[in-house]
Amino acid sequence: MRYFVTAVIIILNFIIQSTFLHSIEIINVIPNTGIIIVVSFAFMRGEYEGSAVGFAIGILQDIFFGQYIGMNALLSMLTGYFCGKFYVDFFTENFLIPLLMTSVSTFVYGFVFYVLNILLFGYTDVLYFLSNIILPETAYTSLFSVFLYKLFYIINEKLEKRETVKRKLF
Amino acid sequence: MNFLKNHKKFIIPIVSVLCLFMISFSLNRAEPTFFESGIGYILTPVQEFNTSVIDWITSKFNALSNINEIESENEKLKEEVYSLQMEIDRLKLVEAENKKLSEVLKIDQKYSDYPKVGARIIAKDTSNWYDVFLIDKGSNDGIKKNMVVIASGGLVGKVSETGFNYAKVVSIIDDTDSVGAKSLRTDDIGFVRGDFENRGMCKMEYVDNDAEIMAGDEIVTSHLSDIYPPGITIGYVKDIKTDENTLTKCALISPTVDFKHLETVLVITENFKKNIK
Repeated sequence: MRYFVTAVIIILNFIIQSTFLHSIEIINVIPNTGIIIVVSFAFMRGEYEGSAVGFAIGILQDIFFGQYIGMNALLSMLTGYFCGKFYVDFFTENFLIPLLMTSVSTFVYGFVFYVLNILLFGYTDVLYFLSNIILPETAYTSLFSVFLYKLFYIINEKLEKRETVKRKLF
Repeated sequence: MNFLKNHKKFIIPIVSVLCLFMISFSLNRAEPTFFESGIGYILTPVQEFNTSVIDWITSKFNALSNINEIESENEKLKEEVYSLQMEIDRLKLVEAENKKLSEVLKIDQKYSDYPKVGARIIAKDTSNWYDVFLIDKGSNDGIKKNMVVIASGGLVGKVSETGFNYAKVVSIIDDTDSVGAKSLRTDDIGFVRGDFENRGMCKMEYVDNDAEIMAGDEIVTSHLSDIYPPGITIGYVKDIKTDENTLTKCALISPTVDFKHLETVLVITENFKKNIK
């Protein structure tokens, strides 16, 4: 059940991100809902599930729109891994920490992506990309994560309840 | 499963190295693998459906808001206005369709010697960096790699990958590909590529320093191009600078195609790639 729900969330997110979200873009930037899912799952379920979800989301983006296969997969897998490190330190009921983590992850992800994909093509104007793409994306994604984390939290809660019921049966 | 659990620590490094391998292998890959086009085959119809739903909602929403305005203004003539408004909406749609079709027809006449196929854009890039998009025609409809994509304004880009029922288009405002181009007025030759530092614009590089190119000149694809047929409009020169490194002129070009509101494109179904052996 958990695998099925996670897979549905990942695929649904990809479809929405590539179609619906483009009609609500602000200053040419769409929120990176993929990274919200990675951070949420990493924060609620730990580093290994986080990196698995990150890998799946990244590879899906690479297959359809990526310049090189594996670039997004690697970055979002590592995002999931490092965010999952906080799994032991915080309660999942805390809604502020995931918001903060999403902001930081989106910023770092965007910056590393810029360095690997754009800077190496000879575009050295870091400030332009910071103010036009990375920072607006971070702000917009953080705004979305407030609502989306709550949604994923509820879904996770339901799934965990279901699992404990099953365990009690035997 | 137990093996995976026992060797948990090695999973992340191993998959990371795998990713790096995939990146280096995909640097110049030709065709999507069976796995990729399989996923595309399943997901594209859903994206296609989604895009139609968005169009449908927007059109319904517009129609509804129009009707509401008139309702509040004319309580008594509600029925009459309703029917008239319906008629107006229908005519508006017909008018818009007419405009679009005649635009397509115009471009059709301009580049009439090439066989073309119309396609709809069904999905756009999920990252904010590139302007890659998918169209709803694939190898099933005779689309092949490196075919040229145009729209009513001019050049859009080229097909970079084809699946069975979808194709990936790389647009000219991305700095991943360059187009051989010339200025229509002065015949000066250069290379046009996307400019990341001016989003939505292109730059024309390696123009001769003595060239008499100036702002407002129309830039078209040149006969020197490998895959692009000559004479397709790319855009108009906006600004000219001299590149300090190469001592050549560099022109900033605003493309004629409105990439933000692109819905339908035409694919020229003739491969211009010369087979040199």
